[in-house]
Amino acid sequence: MPLTPMDIYKLLPKTNCKKCGEQTCMSFAFKLLNREKKIEDCKPLFEEKRYEKQKEKILEILKPLEKATETGLVVNDELCVGCGNCVVVCPIHVEKDPYGMAIGNGPNIDNPILRVENGKVKVCNLSICRRYGKNRILCVVCRENCPSNAISFLEG
Amino acid sequence: MICTGCSCLCNDVVVNGTRIMNACIKGYRHIAGAKENRSEAKIENRTVSIDEAIEKAIEILKNSRNPIIFGLDTTTLEAQSLAIRLAEKLECYIDDNSSFCLGEIVEAIIKKDVPSTTLDDVRNKAYVVIYWGANPYTSLPRHMSKFTYYPRGEKRPRGYEEDRYLVVVDVRKSETAMLAKKNAKFLKVEKDDELVDSFLLAVDGKAGKFGSEVGVILKEMKKSDFNVLFAGLGLKYGISNMDRFFEMIKKINEKVAPLYLLPAGFHANMRGFNETLFEKTGFVNKYSFREKRSEKEFEFMELLKKECVDAALIVGTDPLKSLPFEIAKKFMKIKKIVIDPKTSLTSKVADVVIPSAISGVECGGKMVRSDGVRFKLEPLEEKEINDVLIFKKILEGV
Repeated sequence: MPLTPMDIYKLLPKTNCKKCGEQTCMSFAFKLLNREKKIEDCKPLFEEKRYEKQKEKILEILKPLEKATETGLVVNDELCVGCGNCVVVCPIHVEKDPYGMAIGNGPNIDNPILRVENGKVKVCNLSICRRYGKNRILCVVCRENCPSNAISFLEG
Repeated sequence: MICTGCSCLCNDVVVNGTRIMNACIKGYRHIAGAKENRSEAKIENRTVSIDEAIEKAIEILKNSRNPIIFGLDTTTLEAQSLAIRLAEKLECYIDDNSSFCLGEIVEAIIKKDVPSTTLDDVRNKAYVVIYWGANPYTSLPRHMSKFTYYPRGEKRPRGYEEDRYLVVVDVRKSETAMLAKKNAKFLKVEKDDELVDSFLLAVDGKAGKFGSEVGVILKEMKKSDFNVLFAGLGLKYGISNMDRFFEMIKKINEKVAPLYLLPAGFHANMRGFNETLFEKTGFVNKYSFREKRSEKEFEFMELLKKECVDAALIVGTDPLKSLPFEIAKKFMKIKKIVIDPKTSLTSKVADVVIPSAISGVECGGKMVRSDGVRFKLEPLEEKEINDVLIFKKILEGV
């Protein structure tokens, strides 16, 4: 199940105390999911005893965030068969490597976003991904063309 | 190097120490697992030297009245020609997995009964890509991304996004069928014959069971001068009359738009065996050098069923794993010689086992891709004992 800001918000104190530097708990939940804030920034959650149970739950649901890459991309190694569909369809790969990955071959450039290594797809260089940074586009082309559902994104 | 894990023969695989780049999981296991589970020279489960094993094999073949050579689909063209020479010398039967795989389709293509093409042309020109009874996700993982649907080609610069139309025909919603989203169609069929009939009727302007779907596909085909159909094993076993299927291809070519036929895929060099035997005899498989003809009853399975053979030389395949129990019992009664780099169920029960090298990884040679393009292999090492040497020694011996 994808994690949404609302799932996180429901477990926060919802007091809008502003101790984290955000105006509301909802905006804190958004930034937490974008990994611009850390859960430890929510001081009441850690300091006040009445939020003990909520804290445990929230730490539990935030675990997948640790596995995810900077763009929220998660590759499940057990499901991947190394078909390379994701490598070939990536619009950045097509633009940067028109005679390599764009026509179905292995990469001719040094640092592709994804590459197939030892029969599994491996994330190499996310800094050129469309989803990276502040002006990002929520591109899901690699996930859409994965036959085994090995690729997923945090937001679903 | 060229990966020999399946009939795609991917030529962009790079081996860098323990890192194997660009190969799919099948190719990775084929290359990285080359040293595991190796066979050793054995006579009746007793470890011997390779020369002794070859001697014993020659003795069995000499004393046999009706031997058969079976397999050869994972070895090189050179070894296949030597095996055919051996079969000629022994005047015995020769057959490979294509007799119950896609041999009929390869035969029609080699004889030029139906139009065919190469995978490179498919990448550059194909618009409608049909997978019929094939699931490349499991059998040929890189087929769609390297050759057919996803790559951008000379005349198809926008790739799968706008320049291709995918059709998947299957009895269930396979992983490949899941990819049929935009510009695509998935046809779930119960009987392949019904869809063939629908196509034949639609070409004449009538509507069959799948009238509306077939109409859309034919309309898409008309948009281009290059369409391709990949036939898989699901088609071979689902259809009752293959000639009708070939008639459908010819009719679409005559009346609608060019449609080329290609086999989806199989063992690395199965088409190589079919072509080599065809050059020599005019038939692609199940051939008897004694009677100089090819018949259904000369199939490996049929011969075992009727107990017509008394010895079998099995090369690089494991028939015991897939034979039905009754036929496997009959197979156990005959003398078995196995030439295989790996231990298999058949090699465990064989009278003689001769270890060999893995073609493409440990020995070079030539192989033929599923579309008929020939490749020179680039092995990682050259082993002294390989299929070619073993066949040369057996040929000298007999």
